[in-house]
Amino acid sequence: MPSRFVFAVGAILTLAACGGTTPSGNGLGTGALTVGVIAPFTGADAGLGPAYYAACLPAALSINNNGGVGGRQVSCSKFDTRGEPADAVPAANQMIASTSGLMAVVGCTSDEASTVVPIIDRAKIPMFCMTGQSEFNKTTAKYFHRLVPADVYDAYAMVGSAIYGPGHSPYKRAALVFGNDIGSQAFVQPATNAFTKLGGTIAINLPISLTASSYRTEVKQMLDSHPDVIFTEALGAAGTFLKEVKTQNGGQMIPFLGTSATIDPVWFQQVRDAIGISDFLKYYGGVDLGYTFSGAAYTEFLANLNASASQFADAPKYKQRGSTLHLYDGIIMTALAMVATNSSDPSVYNPKIIDIANGSTGATVVNTYKDGVAAIKAGKSIRFEGAGGQNNFNQWNNSQSGYILVTYDKDGNEVQVGQLTPAQTATIIAAGGS
Amino acid sequence: MDLFVAALGFGLVSMSVIAIAAVGFTMQFGITNMINLAYGEVMISSAYLAYYLNRAGISIWVGMVAGALFGAVFSFLLNRIVYAPFLRKGTSYLGMVIVSLAVSLMIANLLIPIVGYYPRSYQEDPGGLIRLGGIALTRDQVIVIGVAVVLMLAIHALLTYTRLGKAMRATAANPTLARNCGIPTQRVIDAVWLITGALCGLAGVVAALNSDSFAIANGAAFLITILAAAVLGGAGQPYGAMIGAVLIGLITELSAAAWSPQYKEVVAFGILVLVMVLRPQGLLAKRGALAAAG
Repeated sequence: MPSRFVFAVGAILTLAACGGTTPSGNGLGTGALTVGVIAPFTGADAGLGPAYYAACLPAALSINNNGGVGGRQVSCSKFDTRGEPADAVPAANQMIASTSGLMAVVGCTSDEASTVVPIIDRAKIPMFCMTGQSEFNKTTAKYFHRLVPADVYDAYAMVGSAIYGPGHSPYKRAALVFGNDIGSQAFVQPATNAFTKLGGTIAINLPISLTASSYRTEVKQMLDSHPDVIFTEALGAAGTFLKEVKTQNGGQMIPFLGTSATIDPVWFQQVRDAIGISDFLKYYGGVDLGYTFSGAAYTEFLANLNASASQFADAPKYKQRGSTLHLYDGIIMTALAMVATNSSDPSVYNPKIIDIANGSTGATVVNTYKDGVAAIKAGKSIRFEGAGGQNNFNQWNNSQSGYILVTYDKDGNEVQVGQLTPAQTATIIAAGGS
Repeated sequence: MDLFVAALGFGLVSMSVIAIAAVGFTMQFGITNMINLAYGEVMISSAYLAYYLNRAGISIWVGMVAGALFGAVFSFLLNRIVYAPFLRKGTSYLGMVIVSLAVSLMIANLLIPIVGYYPRSYQEDPGGLIRLGGIALTRDQVIVIGVAVVLMLAIHALLTYTRLGKAMRATAANPTLARNCGIPTQRVIDAVWLITGALCGLAGVVAALNSDSFAIANGAAFLITILAAAVLGGAGQPYGAMIGAVLIGLITELSAAAWSPQYKEVVAFGILVLVMVLRPQGLLAKRGALAAAG
């Protein structure tokens, strides 16, 4: 008996010594995995959900085509919040209660983030949210991740475009036309602070109801204030509003600058159809994060995005949508975190997401799920640089990068027209007060 | 003052759009006792039909007629296939409201894979601005006002001078007595669904033209304003709906000029609440606004 005991202990010690560089989690489990896409798929902001669904599908393909997560296949499930907090809460609860193998959640826009983030955080599911609300700038929700800057930086970038943008003298009188919802109004104060401190005047601040059927009186008020530029987002309402501007202004458009959310195929089509492509290209300016739309990560993303058309016909249209790229990266990083920790327990792999995004000294840079898994199995620590570029999470799980100035071409592709220098960016941020 | 005069002109357009829709909606309720919450979805479906015709090179005014025909047939079939069977089974008043809500959701979700979620715009040159004092409207907006006036006069003539109109009024007042007097109430009800459905379809195209850009979600958004105008004027009262449309249309635009545009719908519904508190039956109805006809 004692010899058998000694043999068993020796065997155990030997096995432990052999496993020195492999992940020591409790295993990746079995069964399918699901990524929940919680966002508006109906209602006024119905254009948002599809962009995030278009992120999940190619990510799932990328993972599943390369062995899944420890053999577990990933699929995407939609949960419609209708863009209303009251509808978002039951959607989030249903998602958590009814979805087995829920590995991550993406979406959670400014329409519903305030209500659903606490729910998902309590359920300990890593989430990648597309909200720019300032309340998340220093969030204590451990499972919250934001891969896009807070709205305040979008506002600063728009001011930068107005003052330093190419092809025009600095604009002096701005009309602020944003929806009267919380998310849209987050742009107003930072834009006002920065623009006025840098010598501009806010001709009018015009919060509008995004569900109104017409804006004639609002446009009349705006025109009476004589702005030389319009700052706007107005998702769902931009076409109606801008068409009315053109009509009441004698067929003449006023230059309009959009947030990064206006780099979107739905927004492009709506405004193009309303005011015509010629005026759109001539008078529109946008801001966006500095994507390259090239490289190994983007190439794989694009291939899988096109392949996703069999499930979602419009998926390929989102090839340059920033949120689509970022959420795709978020899902890939989550899967890599699971592999790296050899765990399907979110409390174990959630912290690893930050490590994989930020990297550590000597980390191997990988651009695809396949390369990431190979490096992990080779015992290396990794840094994932995906289709959306490099990420740098701060202590509040917020990651951000610099802005570029953009417009569209006639086919709706993003075209870079300029970039704010670090000095200009610093000037604007100082003026804005952040 | 310039802004208020301009807002008054815009209010004329808004009230015209609302009137076409609200009169149809309230007539449906007044004569058939049906609160049809799918009304907004039938409107937006008609708007999309006109859009596809417009994309094929057909004038939007022809598309408007097509939208009216589509709305008429769609509403007629909706009643015959969905609502009437439930009514024959004795479904309660509230039950029918739930049925129409379900139909509304089904139509909206069935539309998504067909028309997509992208907003659409008609390819229509609205024409130059026509100025009358401080009021500046486009040619298309003046036409919309004209269409609304003609339709309201036509509804008045229908209800007042035609046998069908009188049969409608009799059926609305007391369907059992009307039947006993030899009025073919089932055919009257069919005619009501066709006529109000045509108004619904026409209103959908007009509303979409008025908005310059529209999507599926606009259907439900339209319905709220239509309900407000119908209830304000007195449920089941076409002339009340006309008054309600005037009030809602003007108040929304004038309040946007006087106060903040983000509250214009709040003001309109605030007026509605006030009227409901002071006169629950609505401005014109003699009885409770949701009292059964007959």
